[in-house]
Amino acid sequence: MQRRQFVRAAISAGLAPTALLAQKSTTPNLPLPAPVPWTLGLNPRTPLPHTTVADAVADAPPAFFTERQMATLSRLADVLLPPLNGQPGALEAQAPQFLDFFVGSSSAQVQDVYTGGLDWLEAQAQKRFKTYFAALSDAQVDIVIKPWLRAWMSDHPPTELHADFVNIAHNDIREATVNSPVWNATHARGGEERTETGLYWEPIEPEQFSQSAACAAGQAHVLARPRLPQYMPEYKR
Amino acid sequence: MTNEVYDVLIIGSGHSGGMAAKILTEKGIRCLMLNAGPVADVSRDVRRMPASELPFRGFRPPGQVDHVFQASEFNANVWVDEREVPYTYDAEHPYNWVRVRLFGGRSLFWSRQSFRLSDYELKGASHDGFGADWPISYADLAPYYSRVEGICRVSGAMDGPPQLPNGNFILDNAPWSPSMERFIAAAKPRGIAVCKQRRALGQDGLASSVNLLLPDAEKTGKLTSIANAVVRQITVDKNTGLPNGCLFVDRLSRREMSVRARVVVLAAGTLESTRLLLNSGLANSSGVLGHYLTDQIYGAGLVCSVPEARNGQGKGLMGGPGAIVPRFRNISTRSSKFLRGYALNVTSSTGGLPPRSFAAYGAELQRKLDAYHGSGFHMTLMGEVLARYENHVRIDNSKTDAWGIPVLHVHTRYTDNEFNMAKDAVETGKELAHAAGFDVLAANDQPNPPGYSIHEIGTARMGDDPKTSVLNKWNQSHDHKNLFVVDGASFVSGGWQNPTMTILALSMRASEHLAGEMSKGNL
Repeated sequence: MQRRQFVRAAISAGLAPTALLAQKSTTPNLPLPAPVPWTLGLNPRTPLPHTTVADAVADAPPAFFTERQMATLSRLADVLLPPLNGQPGALEAQAPQFLDFFVGSSSAQVQDVYTGGLDWLEAQAQKRFKTYFAALSDAQVDIVIKPWLRAWMSDHPPTELHADFVNIAHNDIREATVNSPVWNATHARGGEERTETGLYWEPIEPEQFSQSAACAAGQAHVLARPRLPQYMPEYKR
Repeated sequence: MTNEVYDVLIIGSGHSGGMAAKILTEKGIRCLMLNAGPVADVSRDVRRMPASELPFRGFRPPGQVDHVFQASEFNANVWVDEREVPYTYDAEHPYNWVRVRLFGGRSLFWSRQSFRLSDYELKGASHDGFGADWPISYADLAPYYSRVEGICRVSGAMDGPPQLPNGNFILDNAPWSPSMERFIAAAKPRGIAVCKQRRALGQDGLASSVNLLLPDAEKTGKLTSIANAVVRQITVDKNTGLPNGCLFVDRLSRREMSVRARVVVLAAGTLESTRLLLNSGLANSSGVLGHYLTDQIYGAGLVCSVPEARNGQGKGLMGGPGAIVPRFRNISTRSSKFLRGYALNVTSSTGGLPPRSFAAYGAELQRKLDAYHGSGFHMTLMGEVLARYENHVRIDNSKTDAWGIPVLHVHTRYTDNEFNMAKDAVETGKELAHAAGFDVLAANDQPNPPGYSIHEIGTARMGDDPKTSVLNKWNQSHDHKNLFVVDGASFVSGGWQNPTMTILALSMRASEHLAGEMSKGNL
């Protein structure tokens, strides 16, 4: 018996004496006393609450990049995709904050491309202009990155050192911006990219056991209070 | 205990399993079909969303399907989760195993390109001396191709050269666009044929097992299907040594169960079928099981622009039907750089070009995107990978999947033959583009990792000699007469062609043979 069915059966059993008494009552139409199964009132007509995307209203503190790397990435993102023609830029779309989350969740290989690339940009700024990358002018940033820009095809970014980071980061910054809530709220024109819209597949009968290591290690039933460490005597009923 | 013994157990529900179920049940044979994953119901599982409302803004969620380049956040849940069913490979030779375990398998999502093999592939060894010939010829397969094309409603034109046999098509009479005519004019003096694309129309744009094959099988009342049945092992009768069913674990409850049948048909997809045979210790007296893994090189190609179509002038010039350039190398001449050949998919686009097509950023990039919108002309490669013994899979006993089943280790790599082929394709594409007056914006001559094409084939190849092949020409195990493998594992070589039509034709042919043998009492 499934747990839900068991709970429903247990509640019904608990209600049975009350229901029998109610049949003898002179006021037979009174509603059953609580508790009732909690899903009885839910049906396809039940209004659904409106929710919004957390990304659109909430902030997330940087968790992966260092403060200096984050400043470098933000400056790079601002130059590569500034606000244009009424469309928001990468900073307004919080692309750097998203990439901090995304790269932090990605493989070590991806992380190395980003951290190595951002540190290289910072070193270039110090070497050429004696200041932080975040403090460079647009023209100075252009001097650093332009030699490394390439035209390339899907799945095959340049593999040359520095060109790999510049072009991968450029691609990711654009995608994170175009697919952001603020970009989607505007209307792209002409050759401007649109926020990708498509059919999203929900998890299809997910296999519960492998959903997370934490779940797998958890107890099958949540107890109202922790088990006591000491022996609890049992009494015959 | 049901004591139920089915006539035929079919493991897998994609194109090959669906075809086996259709053919066998229509002949009155009781079949049990097991599929490792759930049934996908688009009314329940799918909703239209902008990427801006997804947690990863459309990026592929890290870790879940890292080897599926085709995946995005939108479809990440349809592919096999690599954390749930992992596989291994040597770090220097990566492999992209792209899998779907939903009922219907990858037939739910294929690109629907529909080509026949020719004797240039089926008898390739006789043509150029490499590898082995198939034990069957084009003449053996042609009648089955025609029936399969009828079921899948393949559109195309009767314009193929001998290496791209024509078929039972819904004729495509749409005119070429002027940009494509320029490309054709550039190809013709070079002896390169340009044909109409050939694509399965199916029903409502879907040419899947679940809408074209399984409904026919279910109509007979002879098909029983179980979803979420992860097969652990094929069982064997102790007295006869013949397969007699399988052990499986229910994916959701983890209950261990078994079923029995007189005949076992494997249709789990090339590498899953071979994995199951290896884990069961069956069908390998030749020692060839797992070997000769091959696929096709994808990923190389060109992005071009038609200058006259820029700045909004592309109307009437761009678009129209797509084209396929069938193999033209090593047909009547011999290349010194590689054996066999490749095809090109060619498309004239009315849409935007990807930003990565330009070495620019910011306002300059936006100006280019605006100006080049609707002027894109694309060529992508599909090339034959030679079937080599050393490219193989084996069981990796150091690792198991979520149900404790040992995983597969894939050992395969491309050689200079494939790399030279990709280079030749891109050089030829550039030559054609320039001759047609197009600008080449970006080009890539490096293939994606093996497996990317989702056309993995071989590993249980067919042949007449039981010492050098796993299956006979009827997709039947040399070692166990009541064991058939009807998916792509039976391929001897791959050609450049999308293998789906051939898989379907082989499954149809094998299933009719199987039904005949059962009716004669031989099985």
